[in-house]
Amino acid sequence: MKAGLSSAAAPAAPRARRWAAALLALPPAYAGLAVLLMLAAVMRPQLLSAMLLPLIARQAAPLGLAVIGQSLVMRGRSIDLSSGGVIVAVSYLLTSGYFPISDAVAMVACVALGLVVGVVNGALIVKARASAMIVTLATSMILTGCVVALSQQRAPGDAPEFLRELARLRLLGIPVPVLVWLAVLLPAALLLRGTVFGRYLDATGANPQAAALSGIPHLRVIFLGHVASALISVLCGFILVGFVGKGSITLGQDLALNSLAAAILGGVNFGSGRGGMAGPAVAAFMLTFLFNFLTSLGLGEPGRLMLQGAIIAAAALAYSLNRK
Amino acid sequence: MNSFRSGSSRYTVGLPLLLFALLALAAPSFLATQNLVNVSGQIAALLIVSLGQMVVALVAGIDLSVGSVMSLAGCLVATQADPLWGVTLALALGLCVGLVNGLGVAVAGIHPLVMTLSTMTFLQGLAYLLLPIPGGAVPPVLGALANGNLWGVPRPLLWCAACALAVYLLLHRTRLGLHIFAVGANARSAHLNGVRAVAVVVSAYVVCSLLAVVAGIYLAARVSSGDPAMGAAFGLESVTAVALGGIQLTGGVGSILGVVTGALSLGLITNGINLLGISPFLRGTLTGLLLLAAVCAQRRKVVGL
Repeated sequence: MKAGLSSAAAPAAPRARRWAAALLALPPAYAGLAVLLMLAAVMRPQLLSAMLLPLIARQAAPLGLAVIGQSLVMRGRSIDLSSGGVIVAVSYLLTSGYFPISDAVAMVACVALGLVVGVVNGALIVKARASAMIVTLATSMILTGCVVALSQQRAPGDAPEFLRELARLRLLGIPVPVLVWLAVLLPAALLLRGTVFGRYLDATGANPQAAALSGIPHLRVIFLGHVASALISVLCGFILVGFVGKGSITLGQDLALNSLAAAILGGVNFGSGRGGMAGPAVAAFMLTFLFNFLTSLGLGEPGRLMLQGAIIAAAALAYSLNRK
Repeated sequence: MNSFRSGSSRYTVGLPLLLFALLALAAPSFLATQNLVNVSGQIAALLIVSLGQMVVALVAGIDLSVGSVMSLAGCLVATQADPLWGVTLALALGLCVGLVNGLGVAVAGIHPLVMTLSTMTFLQGLAYLLLPIPGGAVPPVLGALANGNLWGVPRPLLWCAACALAVYLLLHRTRLGLHIFAVGANARSAHLNGVRAVAVVVSAYVVCSLLAVVAGIYLAARVSSGDPAMGAAFGLESVTAVALGGIQLTGGVGSILGVVTGALSLGLITNGINLLGISPFLRGTLTGLLLLAAVCAQRRKVVGL
């Protein structure tokens, strides 16, 4: 697909060549989404209907949010695998009915929990210099273990009416979860482009030693990235609980690894943020569209998983070889 | 070998000893021979797959696909009537997966997490295709190899010892072993000194996948049937065991002693939870807390991954 683009544009004027070069430098998510949309237009046109497309975008919102947090920490050469645990804990706090508190207080408690998890992750990574992968994996295991052990005693309750309503609502035809996604995406993009924090983050990721020697507060930048990522996980939890309408201990378990894949397909890698914030967002939509497309083909679980793995590998391969 | 390169410290070695002492005091049935045999049977698969995970961690990689490789290897031996053919097929599978992972990481430059995540997903699908529901029958020859005693020693222990010995010889008695440590410590220096870094990284992934195949065959033989979801938890579990053993995921630091202590600690936690009647779901919580304590005890220079 990429080779076809360049050969078509090569004989044209230099401007066209610049365009082709810019297209080639795009993260694989764009090309992947274009191919998928074309395939869907031929094979399953109903997926592109005005009714289903907003639903797929709605479904992509949690992954899209998670990948914002993930790309923030990845730019600083860190990683956050704790979203699964945070989401399960949020689901338990909101739906167990174990705590005699109102829904609003429960939601505040969830945000406080996210803050604590983010601070613990960040402090251990920055102060104790522990491996980010191990630390966030461990916090996820601790939270999931506690929740699963606690929830053995009673059946899961219903989600707060407010969240269920929010997940269903539309404003101007756009589902509210998508609006929430955009409401986080745009400030995050501005934060990276136009603020000192964004420059610090890029400098830290590009070369941590040079950043430290230049007097950049590189440790604080990584710490803040982890706090933001944990808070975004809480937001994902709110949306997912609203979708499902009930408590669940399997909610959002694949989000941590999928957000990692989406960040890399969107052009963000450990220590570099070439894809900006748009790349990962496109990648999140691409992956969700892919899951829906494969389901609509009626392949069944084995075929779906095999194609999913092959497509992620192919996109990563295309990008890596292209950058060399 | 010095402690700087092995990653072992008094914390990593002391943890299983401490757990052992605690359990011996708290649970009277812990020291019964039958229980100790059970523990060895439970940790064997984790130990074998963690040995492979360590080899990959030594070259600064990570392999999440080991769980799916285990499941698929188990399904292969459970669906083939001829044990020799089944084992050959499974080993060939391990070789292919290791080559794909290694080439993707070393030649194409894909991040190991993404590369092995995609092979993990693909192979999980393949396992469901081969054996949609748990079942099949492992040839009795293999079952006999994984259960019971030989010369008074439980056979699972012999599997562990054989694999640990093989990895020891590979790491400390061959040129490849030295090169694995060199590439992990500093890939560029190793390359400038004439080490073929690409070949070394690919071999590390192949060794890891082959050990995962052995663990899968062992696990299937032990329960004498295949299960397409059998190994799913082992991907992150083996990373946990390796981290508990003081092995650095940034490469170049690790030892077989570390893997043994890490896997033993996890096995003792599971066993202790069973014996003391604690909710089995708290196992993850306990393991997570131990992991945090273990990584905080070993301060590194780098921040992040």
